[in-house]
Amino acid sequence: MAALDLDVATLKPVETGGFDFGMTARNEQIAAAAGGRPMPQPMSTGTTICGMVYDGGIVLGADTRATAGSEVADKNCEKIHYLAPNIYCCGAGTAADTEKTTELIASQLELLRLSTGTQSRVVAAVTLLKRMLFKYQGHIGAALVLGGVDCTGPGLYQIYPHGSTSKLPYVTMGSGSLAAMSVFETEYKDGMDEAGAVALVKNAIRAGIFNDLGSGSNVDVTIIRAGGASEVIRGYETPNDTAPLRAAYARPKALIPPAAATAVLSTVVSVSDADAMEL
Amino acid sequence: MSILQHNGAAIVCMAGKNCVAIASDTRFGLSQQTVSCDFQKVFKQSDRLFVGLAGLATDVQTLRNTLKFKREPALALYELREERVMKPEAFAALLSHMLYEKRFGPYFVEPVVAGLKDDGSPFLCGMDLIGAPVYTDDYVVSGTCTPNLNGMCESMWRPDMGPDELFETISQCLLASVDRDALSGWGATVHVLTPQGVTSKQLKGRMD
Amino acid sequence: MDLNSQEFYGGGLKEGEVSTGTTIMAVAYDGGVIMGADSRVSTGTYIANRVSDKVSHLHDKIFMCRSGSAADTQAVSDYVRHYLGSHAIEVGKPPLVKTAANLAKRICYTNKEQLLAGVIVAGHDDADGGSVYVIPLGGARPRPPFAFSARARRRRRRRAAAGTCLKVPFAIGGSGSTYIYGHVDHTYKPNMSLAECKVFVKEAVTRAMCRDGSSGGIIRLVCINADGVEREYHTI
Repeated sequence: MAALDLDVATLKPVETGGFDFGMTARNEQIAAAAGGRPMPQPMSTGTTICGMVYDGGIVLGADTRATAGSEVADKNCEKIHYLAPNIYCCGAGTAADTEKTTELIASQLELLRLSTGTQSRVVAAVTLLKRMLFKYQGHIGAALVLGGVDCTGPGLYQIYPHGSTSKLPYVTMGSGSLAAMSVFETEYKDGMDEAGAVALVKNAIRAGIFNDLGSGSNVDVTIIRAGGASEVIRGYETPNDTAPLRAAYARPKALIPPAAATAVLSTVVSVSDADAMEL
Repeated sequence: MSILQHNGAAIVCMAGKNCVAIASDTRFGLSQQTVSCDFQKVFKQSDRLFVGLAGLATDVQTLRNTLKFKREPALALYELREERVMKPEAFAALLSHMLYEKRFGPYFVEPVVAGLKDDGSPFLCGMDLIGAPVYTDDYVVSGTCTPNLNGMCESMWRPDMGPDELFETISQCLLASVDRDALSGWGATVHVLTPQGVTSKQLKGRMD
Repeated sequence: MDLNSQEFYGGGLKEGEVSTGTTIMAVAYDGGVIMGADSRVSTGTYIANRVSDKVSHLHDKIFMCRSGSAADTQAVSDYVRHYLGSHAIEVGKPPLVKTAANLAKRICYTNKEQLLAGVIVAGHDDADGGSVYVIPLGGARPRPPFAFSARARRRRRRRAAAGTCLKVPFAIGGSGSTYIYGHVDHTYKPNMSLAECKVFVKEAVTRAMCRDGSSGGIIRLVCINADGVEREYHTI
């Protein structure tokens, strides 16, 4: 917790950064004591993500399912992350890693923009990400599809957890990447228009949602236009929306507990401080 | 059994109309052996913000103490500097970063955050042990019987419940779920947060 | 320690790591060099990229063919490109291929425990014309043959420990190269013309791609000589 310790002389937080490995040894001991039993696994986004270049920019797509083992941990999570106004990035793999890594690089890019006064370059984002991931030798489990438009035109990259990158006209990643890639390999053509590109990306993600068990729920789409604003469309298509199902379902009376159905042993009521409410 | 399951826990948060509830069981066990029936797993951060910690008991208490003794002075400074209490969104981000800082040696804890936003609407957030946040607008669960809790909430939760309705629903979800989990139960506690205040109740449940 | 074991060769491919299980090659001809590579990048049995470029640019007329871990070899080539760029500005003239190869060797050797990288550095400079250098896996060399005396083998091993960067008339590398050693040894002629050399490289890479499961896609050729650099690709 060094991050918020106070420096006595200046009464300012001590500036530290990076990971804290303080409990790693203890956790290894616990793992050793646990023998062959499994250790807790972080939440992953067994995912379908993809992106493609079209004649006016980049379209990125993602499903919205997050899984913890075989359980669906989140039915509508956001996998297309902001890096810069002109650069977005889809994340697959360990949920926390994709989230925090992209947040970190987004802030580095913001600082870079403030100090140079220029728009962020797509290669700069890719280089920052691949250097970070290479440094951690694959232990940060972030598999990314990065797309953006800069002064050199549109650029689409895939970045693997170990830090290798490639620049391609269309890419897919995550557990549903094979399903999505089959759609791209059949339908992709150079120089498609925006509507065609968005439809193709949507179909690729749908292939993942319906054919890969690790992917599911909705299709998110982000469009990054050359010389225009980026557009983030959450729930571009919601083929698995449960709201209408819930609304159409007549709930049996048994599922609505009557008042005082629960036996209570004791009750404590604390009224909010009115002054605190003002704040 | 994973180390997250060693001590046992069941925690659930539910959103209502201008209210939010957080409930937990009270068992502290060592695998199958029950040691105590009054173990606290839900902690008050402010009148409008509670955090639930499910997982390894030593880490539950360490994290709780860290929040209390290291973060509270910082939070007090934050409130003085910003002249407002910390929003639940900000607290969830703070907790998420605290967990991710220990990415390669994590606390074996899966927290849930329940709070009321400035406009009185509910805020719910779950996290895995390294701080990947899950934001929902209906309910969020954590602990050793998440399949049970998910199933119960999926069928019992409905939109726009009032505080009393919300209390009955979350209580029944929790009690029914822990009755089919050997590692949680042995009493339960429920907090219902409204802009007017907090109602905390101890529930009568099966003690086997 | 078994000199052929993976631990001697360094890190090895990590779980889920992307590999450029590859066919790469570089040949010096009369007036320059031709570098060739397939374009397949795989993760296990899935082809992660079917049109990749394994011939990385290091300087205007110096390139590197990469084999091994994709992440490791990209990092090595990025470092060499960086150092070589600074060096060229410092000396105020185009760098030598020899310099680039030595830089690559040093990076591969000093980090050999962490890296899985087998690379070929080739290019053209005014001092040496077209030249090809091979830096085998682990920054080290093949095991000294038993035909050598014990003393010679010790000496060779010591030299190997200093990291190897061999100047060769031609080099092949990557998993696919094992299928074509006989072919290239039989077909190679010194002082080929550009056209002859192109056919030689294309033919060899094609044969490797047809036999090796981790090589495939298209054939990329980079021809470097006094006049400049020309890239071309061929489908099979």
